[in-house]
Amino acid sequence: MTDRCPAPSVAQIVSPRQLAARNALRRGWRRPLVLGVLTTLFWGASFALFARALEWFHTIGDFGPLLTERLLVLLFVTFFAVLLLSNTITALTTFYLADDVNLLLAAPIEPRLLHHARFAETLASSSWMVLLFGLPIFLAYGVVGHAGPLFYLGTAAALLAFVAIPAAIGVLVATLIVLVFPAQRARDGLLVLVGLAVGAAFVLVRLARPERLADPSGLAGFASFLVGFGGEPSPWLPTTWIVATMLPLLGTREGDPRFFLALLWTTAAALFLVSAALVERTYLHAWTKAQEGGRASRHGHSLLYRLERAGALLPRVPRLLLAKDLTLFLRDASQWSQLVLVGALVVIYVYNFSALPIAENTPLGILLRDVATFCNLGLAAFVVTSVAVRFVYPTISLEGRSWWILRTAPVSLARLWWSKFWIGFAPLVLLGEVLVIATNHLLGVSPLATALFAATLVPLVAAIVAMGLGFGAAYPRLDTQNAAQIATGFGAIVYMVCALGLVALVVVLEAWPVSRLLGFGRAPAAATPAATAGLAGVALAAAFVPCAFAFDSARRRGLRALERLGS
Amino acid sequence: MISIRGLRKDFGAMAAVDGLSLEIETGCVFGFLGRNGAGKTTTIRMMMGLTEPSAGTVLLGGHDIRTDAEAAKSITGYLPDHPYLYDKLTGTEMLGFVGGLYGIPRPERDERARSLLEDFALTERAGELTETYSHGMKQRLALAAALIHRPSVLVLDEPMVGLDPQGAHDFRRLLSRLAAEGVTVFLSTHSLAVAEELATRIGVLDRGRLIALGTLAELRARAAETTTRPGGPEGVVSLEDLFLELVGAAEGQW
Repeated sequence: MTDRCPAPSVAQIVSPRQLAARNALRRGWRRPLVLGVLTTLFWGASFALFARALEWFHTIGDFGPLLTERLLVLLFVTFFAVLLLSNTITALTTFYLADDVNLLLAAPIEPRLLHHARFAETLASSSWMVLLFGLPIFLAYGVVGHAGPLFYLGTAAALLAFVAIPAAIGVLVATLIVLVFPAQRARDGLLVLVGLAVGAAFVLVRLARPERLADPSGLAGFASFLVGFGGEPSPWLPTTWIVATMLPLLGTREGDPRFFLALLWTTAAALFLVSAALVERTYLHAWTKAQEGGRASRHGHSLLYRLERAGALLPRVPRLLLAKDLTLFLRDASQWSQLVLVGALVVIYVYNFSALPIAENTPLGILLRDVATFCNLGLAAFVVTSVAVRFVYPTISLEGRSWWILRTAPVSLARLWWSKFWIGFAPLVLLGEVLVIATNHLLGVSPLATALFAATLVPLVAAIVAMGLGFGAAYPRLDTQNAAQIATGFGAIVYMVCALGLVALVVVLEAWPVSRLLGFGRAPAAATPAATAGLAGVALAAAFVPCAFAFDSARRRGLRALERLGS
Repeated sequence: MISIRGLRKDFGAMAAVDGLSLEIETGCVFGFLGRNGAGKTTTIRMMMGLTEPSAGTVLLGGHDIRTDAEAAKSITGYLPDHPYLYDKLTGTEMLGFVGGLYGIPRPERDERARSLLEDFALTERAGELTETYSHGMKQRLALAAALIHRPSVLVLDEPMVGLDPQGAHDFRRLLSRLAAEGVTVFLSTHSLAVAEELATRIGVLDRGRLIALGTLAELRARAAETTTRPGGPEGVVSLEDLFLELVGAAEGQW
């Protein structure tokens, strides 16, 4: 009775995550294969892009090494900022909000060991994306700079320490936040902050008119931007240290990489130990506070009822579902950040068209306007698809474990499906129409072509929404209530690819009649009412047929998937 | 009121429910017993249209759950074994939403929700998000939601799990009252005491097959005839003895 259980190792504590990942891989080969192909394509494209940029830097003489260095600094500063936020949010979840912490706390595990295990989890879940993005870039640096094996080894060693530093800072910040604020609200607040920051960054980058880089003077502008970026790098920042480690190994700068590599590792180790010491001393107190914080929220007012009353004109089931979905949405702050991003996307989209040089009536100007008009339909549908991936695709998964409530109510699956469809379709078709009409107005497109595009969008958006519901039901994620996480899963990628395939098909099928109609604008003599009506009819039929097929197929498959959901 | 005929569910080569047939009269509290993994929850999920049967039919109030699902569901209340609720809705909103799904007009829905929240001692926390509720409170709220449309059939899967002694006591009284009012209750439970106290008929499921069906007295008599217990027929006194006897006989050994 006095025997003590042997203390588990960090590997044992993190093993559920590894086993879950292994089991997910074992479930089928298609998912890893598709992800592998997409990752390879992404890596290939990133590698080619950066290799080209770096090769160009090599052609501009003395300026080249400086630009190479500044681009690397820019990348690492971006990575470091992303890692800091991402690690803080992840640490809040893994240390203070995850369901399995109860189990670990009840087990004979020392707080220090718990810290190490959760630190490893935080580090892995926050850093893999940065490493995924970074790998082809660092490879491009090595290949273009004809680097030896030492560069790759040194870079790998430096990267490990580099990602560990924001992870340790993230754990420290998360713990300090939890000691002061409720954990859930702190995480929601950070997520909104991230949304606002990313949205603002998108808009600012776009307003800086990066298209100017397309001409040589623009490239020179970009070069001067890079040269001026950040001025003299601060000697106190890990971003400076990792660049100072990599560049001498690349042979583009003098210096001893061992010193900066040691600086990275010792800083990472020191911060790791400080975070371990803080967590060890405060964990139980911080965890308890995080739980208390979660129970503090009170919502006496009935938002659901107010929303239900506002939708009084709608039929009963769509009205109820809309009121319920909106209530859940408005009370989940993590969703708002996504809405901010959608807003930024729309602003950038409309701005893009206002910034096009189409005012002049030169042949190039006219051609550019025709191309922009034609692309506008596809691009608007692309924006609608992106929004649908984020807001329509997760709706089935978000019903999740509460699906039994709807399924056992006297409401047919078909009615539930149609309710979900209208909830998704109405705002998205409105968004698509506003985008197309506003941008066509900016482009000075004829009312007939605008009306044609507006009409095309109706079946196209209907098909996109139906596909979103269908794929959402076929690839449900019932294990999470995080819509952003659902929207980045395997099913979401397949949905995005299929929906964009449909958009491309419609654009291709409409190409001939629409180009003829645009030609009528320049040669009105040929534009007889019969020819115009005929071409418009052909264009609409070309859009309607594939959309109707996609809609019907998605609806039937979606209903079948809904029948199987949760069984 | 509840009619199950030849119900079967196969998962691969394994039959989770194997040709189950039952007739349950109006106002009966039917105790559905069985060991873990016997097929009770699968049966209930098929009864509620949550899982598609491999064969067989389920009629609730004369309505086939597959071909006339809306009519069958409109007269049925259901409490699952794990009642996951919408975390970001308050207790009042949850009842209002479910009541709306059953087509109850607003003022009546509000009145019923208020009354049920009071009956289930949830009034004080009615305005809070359900994510802040304890397991027992969620269980009580889910039961209130199952009753908001005043069903004539009530299907309950392990309803006592998570209830405190007071909650369990109130729940037993509620079931007795509902049965007296003519509600048919299909009650899957591990609590033999509850089944013994409330059930007017009992069915025992083992490995997907119904191995015993009848009133407590009928089952006791049957078990007494076949018992090999040291105490003989007198040894089969409680429902627990009876359950062990029946399941043990079906198994051959523990």
